[in-house]
Amino acid sequence: MLKALVARFKEGCGTGAFPPAAPKLPPDFKGRPEIAADTTEEDVKAMRAVCPVADALFFRDGKASLDMGRCIFCGRCAEVCGKVRFTGEYRLGVFRREDLIVKAGEKEYAPPVQTDGEALALEGSLHLREVSAGGCAACELDANVLGTPAWDMARFGIRFTASPRHADAVYLTGPVSANMQLALEKTYAAMPEPKFLIAAGACAVSGGLYKHGNLPRTPSLYIPGCPPHPATVLEALLRFCGAGRGK
Amino acid sequence: MNRSKIDFCSAADEVCARLDSLGGYVNPAKVAPLKGSAAHEVAVGPVHAGVIEPGHFRFQCMGEDVYNLQIFLGYQHRGVEEAIVAADGHLPRQIALAETCAGDTSAAAAIAFAALMEGAFPERFPAPGDEARRVRALMLELERVANHVGDLGALAGDVAFLQSAAFCGRIRGEYLNMTALVCGNRFGRGAIVPGGARVGLPDGICRELKARLARVKPELDRALKLMFHDHSVCERFDGTGKVPKEVAREIGLVGVARRASEEFNGDVMARALVRRVEINEAHGKMARILDGEAPEGNESPEITDGKGGFRTVVAAVPAWRGKLVHAAAFSPEGKMLRYRIVDPSARNWPGLAWALRGEQISNFPICNKSFNLSYCGTDR
Repeated sequence: MLKALVARFKEGCGTGAFPPAAPKLPPDFKGRPEIAADTTEEDVKAMRAVCPVADALFFRDGKASLDMGRCIFCGRCAEVCGKVRFTGEYRLGVFRREDLIVKAGEKEYAPPVQTDGEALALEGSLHLREVSAGGCAACELDANVLGTPAWDMARFGIRFTASPRHADAVYLTGPVSANMQLALEKTYAAMPEPKFLIAAGACAVSGGLYKHGNLPRTPSLYIPGCPPHPATVLEALLRFCGAGRGK
Repeated sequence: MNRSKIDFCSAADEVCARLDSLGGYVNPAKVAPLKGSAAHEVAVGPVHAGVIEPGHFRFQCMGEDVYNLQIFLGYQHRGVEEAIVAADGHLPRQIALAETCAGDTSAAAAIAFAALMEGAFPERFPAPGDEARRVRALMLELERVANHVGDLGALAGDVAFLQSAAFCGRIRGEYLNMTALVCGNRFGRGAIVPGGARVGLPDGICRELKARLARVKPELDRALKLMFHDHSVCERFDGTGKVPKEVAREIGLVGVARRASEEFNGDVMARALVRRVEINEAHGKMARILDGEAPEGNESPEITDGKGGFRTVVAAVPAWRGKLVHAAAFSPEGKMLRYRIVDPSARNWPGLAWALRGEQISNFPICNKSFNLSYCGTDR
């Protein structure tokens, strides 16, 4: 007992200062990309040749664009011609799919603010039912991390529940494999209204490297990344339900 | 109950048959016909209570005793191997696919894929240089320690020893952040390519890593000592989920589970202790790598030449769960015809089924966590 108390005293409080302080990200962290305004169709073609994902980069209406919903943030395109640069912006979660598309020349970025009253009503008590559907489990591992003392999302009233009956949202990871289609539909159907779908990771948002299955509804929150950094996930969840403001 | 009277091979066969026919269903009554008023079956999954991958388990019980555990997988099947073949000629896509076969084994998978391609096309991909070999070996060991620490913490959590669970949860993150310091990604993704590595190990990073390892190791030792010296933890781990050496050999277990049965007595405690041993071994290796040693890659691919210029190449990497095997068949023109990934988990699932025989369902979590097998790596 005494040894346990001493160990606990020595360990201290392991919870990071984020939020409200800025998270500690690795120096080579790849966040929201920026595309130079003068990026040509040839540049896009060259970058597409090294991009692991189909259609993450494209040229439309005279402008180069990057779809963060497909991007796995490997940074290979940035090495081709220097027209794409990955910034340290980790606040990547958005509420509409089209907001994940970064266009050439865009500089200013402010993460979208939640206006949905039903989502804002969940501030302080957001319960998630995780459904892993055909992914590689990296997204699940980095979601689990949020429950450890280092991130401690429970201090904002956010937690993963065992039963869909107690959940406000499905936290979906993976591209939705054929064999998980039914389980996902049943889990979503078992939840009480109002309910939401959160797509976390490139696979859940767009299929990523794989074929995208059917989602039970349009997601209310998209968190891009492969896998998304825990700071990205936590910030997105907090913004989704309007929690953690000024705390 | 007397375990030796039960044909353990039926469980192993069952899982193997299941792996061959993804999505099928076998009537459990035909496999283990238990009779009497105490006979019952408990079905769990595919969606589990925690934040984990999907799989379906059926516990066939007589009263409190589990006679047989059937493991149904295939929910995570998404065609990784087919996609790698379809992406032939597009190296970045192939590497990304290999890395996403099992997320917690990303670095090992990238090393296996790179070694395989280097073996198949030595003129196109030269053998990796000293620094690339150091990066690869370092990533592999960081991955090993991060996962072992996470598993030991989860084992502590499953027997309600929350202090070590909390400490290990935080410390696992420290190791993931060290991987991120090297390449920007907590799982080491995008760092390794055939012929080398996309990142280096500058002196500044080596110094920082050395300092972090020196700081974290005593903290980890403290967390583990607390757990392994606690009576309530030892009481739950000792003798639970025992897989004897002979059985481990017969099933063909690999990695941590095999070592636990060969070097120790094959119970949950043994698998926990092997993890602690491997953490210490990995720390020794990392210290040498950071001091400048460039370990020889021991995944040296095996090449078998077939008729008419067709050939197969097999590469094996000592991943944290056990031996990870990647194999590919190439046409005489060098076109990739088939790709096959054998995750160590695929060999160890029958071991979990065996471990639970004669246990109670309440011991499933610690048995399961002591193996911590990958669903997605098995389903591919």
